[in-house]
Amino acid sequence: MVEYRAVSKRYPNGTLALSDINLTINKGEFAFFVGPSGSGKSTLLKLILKEEDPTEGEVFVNGYELSKMTRKDIPLLRRSLGVVFQDFRLLPNKTVYENVEFAMQITEALPKEIRRQVPMALALVGLSKKAKAYPGQLSGGEQQRVALARALVNNPSLLIADEPTGNLDPETSWEIMKLLAEVNYRGTTVIVATHEKSIVDAMKKRVIAIDRGVIVRDQEKGQYEDEVKNHQIHY
Amino acid sequence: MKLRTTKYIIKEGFVNTYRNVLMSLASMGVVSASLIILGFFLVITANIEHNTRFLKEQPEMQVFCNPNLDDYQVGMVQWTISKDDRIESYEVVDKAAAFEKAKEMLGEDKEILEGLDESIMPVSFIIKLKNSKDYEEVVEEYKNYPGVDNVQYSQKAIDFVNKILRMLQIGSTALIIILSAIAVFIISNTIKLTVFARRKEINIMKYIGATDWFIRWPFIVEGIIIGLVGAVASFGIIYIVYALGGRSIVNDMAMLELVSMGDMSFQLISTFCLIGAFVGALGSVISIQKYLRV
Repeated sequence: MVEYRAVSKRYPNGTLALSDINLTINKGEFAFFVGPSGSGKSTLLKLILKEEDPTEGEVFVNGYELSKMTRKDIPLLRRSLGVVFQDFRLLPNKTVYENVEFAMQITEALPKEIRRQVPMALALVGLSKKAKAYPGQLSGGEQQRVALARALVNNPSLLIADEPTGNLDPETSWEIMKLLAEVNYRGTTVIVATHEKSIVDAMKKRVIAIDRGVIVRDQEKGQYEDEVKNHQIHY
Repeated sequence: MKLRTTKYIIKEGFVNTYRNVLMSLASMGVVSASLIILGFFLVITANIEHNTRFLKEQPEMQVFCNPNLDDYQVGMVQWTISKDDRIESYEVVDKAAAFEKAKEMLGEDKEILEGLDESIMPVSFIIKLKNSKDYEEVVEEYKNYPGVDNVQYSQKAIDFVNKILRMLQIGSTALIIILSAIAVFIISNTIKLTVFARRKEINIMKYIGATDWFIRWPFIVEGIIIGLVGAVASFGIIYIVYALGGRSIVNDMAMLELVSMGDMSFQLISTFCLIGAFVGALGSVISIQKYLRV
């Protein structure tokens, strides 16, 4: 589903963000990218979206070899993905319904399909009753759920979430995480970049820890921090 | 592009124009102002062309016979002229008429002619050609015709008018380029404000997989609306000013004939709309380019 082959990324200002990353995330997996700010986890996500290109190595997403894609093809790649951001990124002058609908309009979907899919996506995130509200009238958690509905409305096979709970209180964060787990349970591959230790620890999913541009740990049913290290600190 | 996408794009274009109504109006004003200046140039050119067209269409020349020719010899010249199929029509100015005309022209000084009679005056023929391109040839031929003293013609006037017309044409072309460049610059700045206000939206659109053209088109529609409204407004202003002002100027110069606005309207409005739409679209494309690189 997503594969990084010997990927390195150096930004024009000289910062080495990633160094020789080899990583595969399979279809149907739920994976956390964890690590401190500046560790390179955001860069890993940007490579999936082809917002950045690797300096070396190759990235494969949903069967596309990204280095062989031209700028013109990027929209096709992005339509096969769902993306959720820390700051929600909703259009403030469109209603909840229109925000979700919009993601289908740009794919030139049939109106019939739009009328079927949008209510379904809103129902999935539990916001059917707020369809006519504007983002400004919603709480942070609700806004993030709208963003999630928008990400899911085109039935993507891969969902990417960059710090999806970064602006939310713990309780709301949990709701969002439960929704992401639900989405994953229905078959969508989910990748979440976060530094919320409590959530990562409780979810017991695959954890890929990144520090200074290298993968320092990759565990099934992992924890935010290395248990051994944790142990030593406690002593 | 599908029909519903086209509908979406056109709707967005109108909504955006309305949302920034003040800036849109300002841009429309600039487009109008540029087109009005251009329009007056075009109208003046059209009028000069119209009022000098007789110089091009029916060039006149006057063939003067030697005053000493007898009637038979003059008849020979007249016969040659009447048989010349390059000549559309001719008019005979006989000795008496020429004498009267000379007196008239001298006015107060007509005593110079005292003691003289019409016999000193030459018979002449005022000739209209079918085609102005035969001009030089005909002039040369009749100059050398036996019994012909002189051929007067208005070549200098034609050259002069042509020169002015050419200058006006170059002037209006230069003006189109300069004014268009200014209008493009100002429209692109207006749309840049719209784009800047909506950069987040553009960014979001890029992330959820909108193509560049899907994002660009509504802005192009906005630019075209600004351009077209500006074009129509400037046409209206020129129409009114021409109807009111044109007559009063021409009344002072009775010999001039005003081109009717009806004859020019189609050309003017289509030129304006083309320039307006092009300038608006170009301004949009330029201003949005930077924000599409995500």
